[in-house]
Amino acid sequence: MGALLRGAWAIAVKDIAIEWRTKTAFASGLVFAVLVLAVLFFSRDPTAVSSQDIAPGALWVTFTFAAMLGLNRAFLLEREMHGLDGILLTPVPRSAIFWGKFAANLVFVGTIEAISVPLFVLFYDVPIWLRFPEVVLVIAMATIAFVAVGTLLSAMVVRTRYAELMLPLLLLPFLVPPLVGGVQLTARLLEGRPLSDLGGWLKLIGAFDIAFVTLSALLFQVVLEE
Amino acid sequence: MPPSADVVLSATGIARRFAYRLVLANVDLTLRRGDVLLLVGPNGAGKTTLLRVLAGLLSPSAGQVERPGAIGMVGHEAMLYPALSARENLRFFARLHGVDGRGRVDTLLGQVGLSHRADDRVGTFSRGMLQRVAIARALLHEPGLLLFDEPLSGLDATASRTLVGLLQDFRDRGTAMIIVSHEMERLGKVATHMVRLAAGRLGELESLAGRDPVAVFADLMRGDL
Repeated sequence: MGALLRGAWAIAVKDIAIEWRTKTAFASGLVFAVLVLAVLFFSRDPTAVSSQDIAPGALWVTFTFAAMLGLNRAFLLEREMHGLDGILLTPVPRSAIFWGKFAANLVFVGTIEAISVPLFVLFYDVPIWLRFPEVVLVIAMATIAFVAVGTLLSAMVVRTRYAELMLPLLLLPFLVPPLVGGVQLTARLLEGRPLSDLGGWLKLIGAFDIAFVTLSALLFQVVLEE
Repeated sequence: MPPSADVVLSATGIARRFAYRLVLANVDLTLRRGDVLLLVGPNGAGKTTLLRVLAGLLSPSAGQVERPGAIGMVGHEAMLYPALSARENLRFFARLHGVDGRGRVDTLLGQVGLSHRADDRVGTFSRGMLQRVAIARALLHEPGLLLFDEPLSGLDATASRTLVGLLQDFRDRGTAMIIVSHEMERLGKVATHMVRLAAGRLGELESLAGRDPVAVFADLMRGDL
């Protein structure tokens, strides 16, 4: 367990340090988030569709595609000088690579989301602050599910020729359940419904969190095998 | 091979397929402390694949590899992170090896002649400098066996001489090595044995004791001309 935690921590810190230094994926994720929020806002007919009607969908589209940019980068940074091979030559457990990448991806995606939320409020003028803790809970739960499966799939495609194309294609079907759950819960929270009314959707996302994290952790070692 | 000290590697019946292509077939190899094996063969013979199987980066389709001790590898790629400095890269890998990083990292950077560039990003390094950092990475955990895949490729004469000097030091300290290379003039004096891999099959090991490595290499490669 000590080697697992030590390895996962070292890998997570390494990934975050590299992203902090280069800011390549972070900058592109942030620009993308601003563009999506703005384009969806200005593309609607304000007399027919209120901003609050499209707000939950706009928020989750932004999160989803900005997260994909980050997940793509998670293993692409291992490709340039084959750093992943260097890790595989050490005695660190293979599962430590998953947990380290998963933690770093959560930090990256969470940071994009944290910056996107105020922009979302600015564009769509939604009363999010009244239900802020509940909204954060929903965002966190859905993010855990798609970062877990995204970490697994990005490891799978890193050695393929069209990794940047393959990852979104493979990831999108798995994103549908947490994405739908996230949109539905966000919409209902912004309508003012109490959390007790939302138990079904919360349980659904919770179940996907457990399933995706467990399966991704178990399958990761198989994916790394050549 | 003459009986010597501990076995550092034992590979038995190694085979490896990629889809329907058999790249390695029934490879047996035993290496002992102090052995330095030059692995030669035509392009596409499976030399890199064999090294990756021996290092544990690839699973064999058949056979098994026993690695009683630690292995270090310097491949075609540096296996480093270009956005991190040489020191940061080595400290990262030291942590993964469970080695107390600070003193060991500074010592190794001095040994490979890169103390003055320790805090520069390796993405700014030349090929020769990257090779030296890669060697330092491979030595962090003091392995008994080192694997090198074309270590002199892309290096100028000065860098090559430095690297050959390091390999001689490792040999003198008893570190076993497998080196994939056709640079007989430079590496022949480091090696103790030579073997040819062709079409995935390993030939007989040739001892280089008292023999001209260039002549042994020419004999082994005659079938490929």
